[in-house]
Amino acid sequence: MGILSAIVFVPLAGALAVLVVPEKKRNVIQAISVMASLVSLALSVWLLARFDVSVAGVQFAEKTGWIPLFNVHYFLGVDGLSILLVALTTLLSFLAVVASLHIELRIREYFFWFLLLETGMLGVFLSLDFFLFYVFWEVMLVPMYFLVGIWGGPKKEYAAIKFFLYTLFGSVFILLGMLGLYFASDPHTFDMIELAGQASRFAFGFQIAAFLAFYLGFAIKIPAFPFHTWLPLAHVEAPTAVSVLLAGVLLKMGVYGLLRISYPILPQATRWFLFPLLIIAVINIVYGAFCAMAQKDMKRMVAYSSINHMGYCLLGMVAVAGSNAAAGLSGAVFQMVTHGLITGSLFLLVGVIYDRAHTRNIDDFGGLGSRLPVFTALMTVQAMASLGLPGLAGFISEFLCFLGAFGTAAYRVFVVVAVIGIVVTAAFLLKLIKDVFLGKFNEKWAGLTDMNARELIAVVPLVILTVYLGLQPHVALRMMEATVSQIAMIFKAG
Amino acid sequence: MNLLWITPEIFLSAAALLLFAGNIRRRRIAVGFTMMALVMAGILVLKFIYENGSVLETAAVDGMSAFFKLLLLAGMSLSLGLANDSAEMKEISWGTFCGVWLLSTVGLMMLAASLDLILVVVSLELIGISSFILTGFLKREKRSMEAAIKIFLVGALSSALFIYGISLVYGALGSTSLAALAGFSFQGPDRLCLVGGLLFVIAGLGFKLAVVPFHMWVPDTFEGAPTPVTAYLSVAPKIAALALLVRALPFHGAAGLSPLLAVLAVASMTLGNLAALRQTSVKRLLAYSSIAQMGYILLGFVAAGTLGLSSVLVYSAAYLFMNLGAFACLIAVSNESGSDRLESFDGLARRSFPLALLATVFLLSLTGIPPMLGFVAKFSVFAAAISERWFLLSVIGVLNSVVSLYYYFRIVHSMFFSEPSSSVPIRWSWGLSGCLVVSALITVLAGLWPAGLLAWVQQVVP
Repeated sequence: MGILSAIVFVPLAGALAVLVVPEKKRNVIQAISVMASLVSLALSVWLLARFDVSVAGVQFAEKTGWIPLFNVHYFLGVDGLSILLVALTTLLSFLAVVASLHIELRIREYFFWFLLLETGMLGVFLSLDFFLFYVFWEVMLVPMYFLVGIWGGPKKEYAAIKFFLYTLFGSVFILLGMLGLYFASDPHTFDMIELAGQASRFAFGFQIAAFLAFYLGFAIKIPAFPFHTWLPLAHVEAPTAVSVLLAGVLLKMGVYGLLRISYPILPQATRWFLFPLLIIAVINIVYGAFCAMAQKDMKRMVAYSSINHMGYCLLGMVAVAGSNAAAGLSGAVFQMVTHGLITGSLFLLVGVIYDRAHTRNIDDFGGLGSRLPVFTALMTVQAMASLGLPGLAGFISEFLCFLGAFGTAAYRVFVVVAVIGIVVTAAFLLKLIKDVFLGKFNEKWAGLTDMNARELIAVVPLVILTVYLGLQPHVALRMMEATVSQIAMIFKAG
Repeated sequence: MNLLWITPEIFLSAAALLLFAGNIRRRRIAVGFTMMALVMAGILVLKFIYENGSVLETAAVDGMSAFFKLLLLAGMSLSLGLANDSAEMKEISWGTFCGVWLLSTVGLMMLAASLDLILVVVSLELIGISSFILTGFLKREKRSMEAAIKIFLVGALSSALFIYGISLVYGALGSTSLAALAGFSFQGPDRLCLVGGLLFVIAGLGFKLAVVPFHMWVPDTFEGAPTPVTAYLSVAPKIAALALLVRALPFHGAAGLSPLLAVLAVASMTLGNLAALRQTSVKRLLAYSSIAQMGYILLGFVAAGTLGLSSVLVYSAAYLFMNLGAFACLIAVSNESGSDRLESFDGLARRSFPLALLATVFLLSLTGIPPMLGFVAKFSVFAAAISERWFLLSVIGVLNSVVSLYYYFRIVHSMFFSEPSSSVPIRWSWGLSGCLVVSALITVLAGLWPAGLLAWVQQVVP
């Protein structure tokens, strides 16, 4: 078994192990879960260290036959597009497990579904066979349904089934599109690399149809306007640790799918759809920001800010045919990572205050800064990163996205409109800080305590990485450079 | 000619006669004997699995008939396990029950191997009459009687249609063999007579498959019959009828039957799913779900070709195990609560987590979520449809899958999200757990490693 299989299936082994432990042995269940996610994290750190940044193609590939009749392979591999997302997933999963250690309700089931979810997410980023990709893509939905539906907020059951139905609706079209590609390719294959090699075979009309089918599935995950309505509900109802993964990892899958599948395999259709994508990106940025501004609930605010932030990814991606293609694409990939770090930590921090105060309403707080200094400091740094303060990671990725899109003359007007989004984001995040941490202290919260060790372990690594990547972005950017320029080349040549 | 080839059927018939003659009332003896007979028949079928011929040009003995016979025998033994452990079936004459069970198995196996329409009629009657007896086996229960009357009347009607159909086919072809039907060109002067006959044949089989618009009898019959018999009704006769269609329909493209089958498929999927959304009895819910499932299978016939027909075989196998598994969960729950309402599943995850998890596996498989076998089945069906460019039909099909998630997951919802309605732990017994474990293992393992099943199916499809 290769390193990639190990990364994917160690959490699954942990999930199965948890299942046979009696519910009463809390410590054993927690230890297994922490270990499983920690091993996966350690392996992915090892992978980062061994990753060869000069190679554009796939590394650490594992390929064996699986279903010969349909030419399906068990094909895992990692390249510049996925390496950072894999590391992000294992890191956030581990931290989310740590952040979940205080859960008491049905913990055996909780960690079972949680680790299963981790396997699904890692599988999506690592599979290079479309069939395998789809299997992982769907496998992920099931644990998410249970995690939201059992451990969520007041409207958890509705949120759970809405999430499941919504995403299943999108993914069945991916299934049809993938079958269409299979029968259009010759020899028939589900291998993404081979399919990209055959891209010139696919007729333009077919490409458009396939692109639309995939887009429906991916746009729901991103979520791109107008398919975003499931997101605020699911985010708000999900338990903290699950919100972290939902925002930090699951949302990336839509963008990742576009970059991994739609762009290389359907380049002609992609070129045709760049302009509509730009419009959707601008709507996501501006509309998401305004929606976030209108929220009183901190969690909802962060959820809407995700719609805004995923808009930046789309903005960077539409740069692909312009003169700053590489910058835009790197920005999009890097934005996925930084959004994972920043928004993941923001959800954890909102969870910290909610666990104590049992409310997330901004108006209920005030002047917390003097009572909870550590919490305030961490929250402020991450909010600043989220609004794109230079020196923190969010700035670099957003800047690259804008720079990329600016490279196409026709897009400049829209890029300028998108800047409104940045301003509004800054406004609502600063207002959040003002209303919660500054001003008059509400005596009702006199009993609040600052963050405990478990919470600090979950949040601090993310804050450190946010600062580090803000100061040393090239550490991350050079990992994706070769792969990103390869994608940009497809569009230069055509 | 080799009469040895039908030893499995002869053996089962003899065993049935022994059961009748012995007039056994003890459950253990009757069920144990029957189980052994079914296993022996399976071994005999395996013995002839590589043969390729026929008995008197009437009953095929080839790879495909072996595939379906093994599937049917597996289904009959698993659902017999359910009957053994069902609380409904306490005071019945087990010898008679098991005898009829075996006779119906013989009918199913012959239908799956038929090469001649006359044998088809005989086996359909055998299946119909034994289904009627099994459905009405709870003599003191009104609902069981009502269901039996319904299935009897519908069975008689469908036989009448079927026999009228084959009389027309005979008039056009001068033969009742399926081979003659396959070789016939649809340009001749008797075209109208033949097509008309085929339509009646399809209507007759439509009742057996319970596809819309021949489905009205299903919900009431399924609800009234003893649950293990419902489990049997929901899989075995349908799979045998599918086997017949796989043999009879390869020619249909020429007859232009694909559009007709496409309409039946869409109607079954859509109406079945929409009706299932509103059910509060899990038994009725599964009845409507079985109507919808047949709609997906019909897509394989619409696409036809090797890919289409093999997808029918794959789907049959998947459907058999996942549906029996779902019924096993229902029986385990209603044995304790005495009801098949959705509420009796409330909080099952906390009363028996393993059972709730198994039920989730079967429901995921029925929805078509990987890595369950049901996904492989849906995947093959849609692959066949896409390869023959039935795009709109595929879109309708996948959207129906999404709808079905809602009602299948209402059960999951009540198992995992609701508070338990009772704290009595679920009792596990041999027949029930056997059926659950075997179905779950096949549903999961064949879903993860479908290569073997697909290769087998590929080999036996004409």
